[in-house]
Amino acid sequence: MPSVHFDHVSKRFGATTVVEDFNLEVADGELLVLVGGSGSGKTTILRMLAGLEEVTEGMIRIDQRDVTALPPRERDVAMVFQDYGLYPHMTVRENLSLGLRLRKVARKEIDRRVAWAGDMLRLEPLLDRKPKQLSGGQQQRVAMGRAMVREPLVFLFDEPLSNLDAGLRAQMRIEIGGLQRRLKTTTVYVTHDQVEAMTLGDRIVVLADGRIQQVGKPIELYRAPVNRFVAGFIGTPPMNFVDGQLLREDGSTVFAAEGVRVQLPHEIADGTGSSEVVTLGIRPEDLTVDSGDSTDAPADSIPGRVVLVERLGGTSHVHFDAGPHRLLASVSNDRLPEVGDSITVRVRAERVHLFGGDGRKT
Amino acid sequence: MKTLGRIALYAGLTVAALTFIYPFLWMASATFKPPAEVGTLALIPDNITLDNYRTMWARAPFGRALLNSTMVAGTITLAVLVFGSMTAYAMARLRFRGRPALNAVTLAVLLVPGQLTLIPMYTLVVQLGWIDTYAALIVPYLFNATAILMMRQFFLQMPQSLIDSARMDGMGELRILFTIFWPLSKPVLSIVAIFTFMGSWNEVLWPLLVVREQQLMTLPQLLTVFALGGGAGSIGVSLASAMVLVVPVVIAYAFLQRNFIESMASSGVKG
Amino acid sequence: MRAEQRSGSLMAAPYAAFLLVFAAYPIAFALVLVFLQWDLVTTPSFAGLDNVRLLANDGRFWRAVANTFVFLSIHLPLQIATALVLALALNRPLVLRSFWRASFFLPVVISGAVVAILWSNLYATDVGLINRLLVRIGLTPVPWLTDPSTAMPAIAAMVTWKNVGFYVIIYLAGLQYIPRSCQEAIEMEGATAWQRFRHLTLPMLLPQTILVVTLSTINGFQLFIEPYVMTGGGPLRRTYSIVLYLYTNAFSYQKMGYAATIGVALALIIGAVVFIQRRVIGKEETL
Ligand SMILES: Nc1ncnc2c1ncn2[C@@H]1O[C@H](COP(=O)(O)OP(=O)(O)O)[C@@H](O)[C@H]1O
Ligand SMILES: [Mg+2]
Repeated sequence: MPSVHFDHVSKRFGATTVVEDFNLEVADGELLVLVGGSGSGKTTILRMLAGLEEVTEGMIRIDQRDVTALPPRERDVAMVFQDYGLYPHMTVRENLSLGLRLRKVARKEIDRRVAWAGDMLRLEPLLDRKPKQLSGGQQQRVAMGRAMVREPLVFLFDEPLSNLDAGLRAQMRIEIGGLQRRLKTTTVYVTHDQVEAMTLGDRIVVLADGRIQQVGKPIELYRAPVNRFVAGFIGTPPMNFVDGQLLREDGSTVFAAEGVRVQLPHEIADGTGSSEVVTLGIRPEDLTVDSGDSTDAPADSIPGRVVLVERLGGTSHVHFDAGPHRLLASVSNDRLPEVGDSITVRVRAERVHLFGGDGRKT
Repeated sequence: MKTLGRIALYAGLTVAALTFIYPFLWMASATFKPPAEVGTLALIPDNITLDNYRTMWARAPFGRALLNSTMVAGTITLAVLVFGSMTAYAMARLRFRGRPALNAVTLAVLLVPGQLTLIPMYTLVVQLGWIDTYAALIVPYLFNATAILMMRQFFLQMPQSLIDSARMDGMGELRILFTIFWPLSKPVLSIVAIFTFMGSWNEVLWPLLVVREQQLMTLPQLLTVFALGGGAGSIGVSLASAMVLVVPVVIAYAFLQRNFIESMASSGVKG
Repeated sequence: MRAEQRSGSLMAAPYAAFLLVFAAYPIAFALVLVFLQWDLVTTPSFAGLDNVRLLANDGRFWRAVANTFVFLSIHLPLQIATALVLALALNRPLVLRSFWRASFFLPVVISGAVVAILWSNLYATDVGLINRLLVRIGLTPVPWLTDPSTAMPAIAAMVTWKNVGFYVIIYLAGLQYIPRSCQEAIEMEGATAWQRFRHLTLPMLLPQTILVVTLSTINGFQLFIEPYVMTGGGPLRRTYSIVLYLYTNAFSYQKMGYAATIGVALALIIGAVVFIQRRVIGKEETL
C-alpha cells in the first residue's frame, strides 16, 4: 500500500512551469530518492508534499488521505532542510521539542521522545546548547532529531548533506540510511548527488526540467538507463558519448564515427535501422586499455592517444583522444599508460548503450 | 611635531565637546540658582535653591505632561513595533495580492514632506472630533513607513528554512513572527524603538495644532506654551521645566548612547 | 499558498487602511483644499484660484521664503564644514573616542523646543551667556535675536550646533569606506595632508555631502519651533519661516485653504530645490 501518492501534479510560478504532470507512488517504509540537477524541481516537489508550496494542479495523498489543500501542520510529515532551519535562539532541547509542545503532546511523552532521539543521534551532551555552539554535523543531527521526535508518517530530506564536508557527508549518509532502515518510516530524500542517490535509495527518481526521466532501483538505472540524460547522470565517472552512424556490414551491425568503430552484438543492434544516426554510450569501466600500437589490435578496439592520467589510488582515469572524441576509461592500476602514449582500447560491446536522435534508448 | 599635533587635536576635541555639553550643564545649574545668579558663567551656584522647580511644578501641570508624553510615546512605540513588524513580515515573507503595490506606496510616502499633509491631517482630526484627545496624538503615528521598511529589510535576510521549519512545527504566521523573528531581530527592533520613541517624545508642531487643553499637553508642548505664555516668569523656572523633558532622555542616552546614535542616524530623526 | 495569501492580506490590511486614511486621503485633500476657503466652522466654499493668486502676491509668504534662503546660505556651508572637521578629527585612533562622539551627538537627542528655550537665554542681550563671554574678553555685546541682521544667522548657527552630531555620524560612515589602499597610494605620491583631503577624501565623501545638503535643506525648509519660541518671527519678520506662517494661517486665522496652499507650495519648493542641488553637486549619487 503506497503511503505517498502524487497524481498528475503540476506546479507553475506565474507563467513558468516548474513541475509538469508528476506521477509517483512511494511505498510504505520505502526510501525514495529524488535526484536531478539544480533547478530541476526537486525542492518544489518536496515542498508541495510538505504543504509549504501550493499545488497548481493535481492531487497529493498521504496514507490514502487527500492532503493537497492541507497546511503543513495537518499533514503529519517532518522535514530536514538543507541549511537545517534550526531556531538559533533556542537550545537543542527546545528545538527538538517545540513541534510537540505546539501539538500539545504530554510533557512526559515529549521527554521520552527527546531522550530517545537524543540517544539514537548521540545528542545528549548537546541538549542544552544553542545551534551556534554546534558543528555542522551536529546541527545536521539535531535537524534529523527534530524530524524524528515528531514520529511522522513521512520524512522529507532536502539535500541534507550538501553543507557538510566530504568526509562527514559520507559518514552521515551511512547514518541516515541506517536510521531509516531501523525506523522504517517512509522517506523522500532529495539530492543532486547521484552517489548519494545510488547508495541510499531503495528506488530513485531522476528528474530533469520538472519531469520524471526514469524511476527504478539504483542498479536498474545504472544498467538500463532509458535515455541519454539518465545514462549521463547516473554513474561516476560519467558515461562516454560518441555521436555516429549505424552501418550494416556482412550481416552484422557496426557503429561508426570518426576514429571509433564498434561492432555491436545482436541484442543491441536488433530493431535499429541502417544508416541511422545514433549516440553510442560506453561507461568508463567498460573500456580496457592495452598499451602499444594498434596495428595488430582486435577488430572491436579503438586506437587512442593518452592526454591525461588521473591516479586515484585504486583505479585511475585515463583520458584519451580517439579521433576528435575525448573519452575516459576507468582502469586498474597495474599497467598505466603515460601521457602521449598511443594505446588500444577494447570495448565491452555487450555493455554499450545506443540512443536515438531524440535521446531515447533505441 | 607629532606630539604637538596630538596635543592640538585633543585641545580641539575638548573645546568642541565643551561647546556641545557646556550649555546643558549651564542649563542644569541655572535651574538651581536664585534669579540674581542665573546670568553667571559659574556652574556651581553660590546658593542652591529648588524654588524654580517648586514654581514650575505649581504653575503648570508638568507631572501630567510627563505622564502624557510617556503614555503617547510609549503607545506609539509599541504600536510601531507590533503592527509595523506584522506589516513588515507580510511584506517581506508572505506572497499576497497587492504586495508590490504596498511596497511601492510605502517608498513613495517617504518622499512626501510632512508639511504637505499637515493641514489636511489637522482638518481630518477636527472632523473626527479628536481635538483634545489622545487619539489625535497617537492614531496618526500608529504606523511608520521608515520603521516598516527597516524591519522588512531585516526580515528579508532571515533564512526561508526558519519559516518552513516553524510551519512544519505547526506555527501560524503571527506565532512565527513573535516567537521566532522577534527574538532574532533585536537589533532592528531596538533601532526602531529608539527613533520612534524619540520622534514622538520630542514632537511639538502636531500637538500644538491638535491639543489646547493643558491637561492633555505633552511635555515639549507644555514647555513651549509655558515659556512663551510668560507663565514661567523667570529664566530659572522656564529652564527647570525644560529639565523635565531633558533628564529622562539624557539618562537613557548615557546608558544606550551607541544604540541612540545608530538608531537616530539610520532613520534621519533629528529631535 | 492560499493560507499564505490570506495571512499576508490580513497582516497587511491594517497598514493599507492606515495608508488610505492618513496618507492617500491627506495628500489628495491637500490638493482639494488649495481651491477651497474654509474656516473649519462654516461649510467650505469653492474659491477657484484665489488661494494661489493670494500666495503669489503675498509679501509675507515670500518674505518667509527669502528668510529660508538666508538661513540655508549660512546653515549649509557651516553644517558641512563643521561636520567634516569633527568627523575627520574623530576618524583616527583616539583615546575616549566614543565619549567625543557621544558628546557631539548629545544635542541631536534633545528636543528642539528645549534647545530653542536654552538658546534664547544664551543669546539674550543683557544676561545671555554668550554676551557675558564677549564682554569678558573685551568685546561689545551683540543683540543677537533682536537685531534684524543677526537674528537669522544666530538661529542658523544654533541649528547647526544642534544637528552637527548627526552629520558627523554620516561623514564618519563615509570615511570608513575610503579604502586604505587609496590612502596609501596617494601618500606614496607624496601628497601633503591638504592635498590628500582635497583630492581624495573630499571627492570620496561626495555621496555623504549630497546627503548632508539634502537633509539639512529639507530640515531648513521645515524650520518652525526655533523662530516660534525664540523670536516669534521677528524682528521685522526677518526670522519668519514658511511653516510658522502656515501654522499661523491654520491655527490663528483658521484659513485652512490658504494654509494647505502654503503646504503644497512648500512641498513643491523643497522638491525643486533638492532637485537643483543634486543637479549641481553630483551627477552619479543618489540617496
Ligand atoms: N518562488 C518561486 N518563484 C519562481 N520560481 C521559482 C520559485 N521557486 C523555485 N522556482 C524555480 O523553479 C525551478 C525549480 O526550483 P527548485 O525546485 O528549487 O529546484 P531544485 O531544488 O531542483 O534545485 C527553478 O528554475 C527555480 O528558479
Ligand atoms: Mg533545491
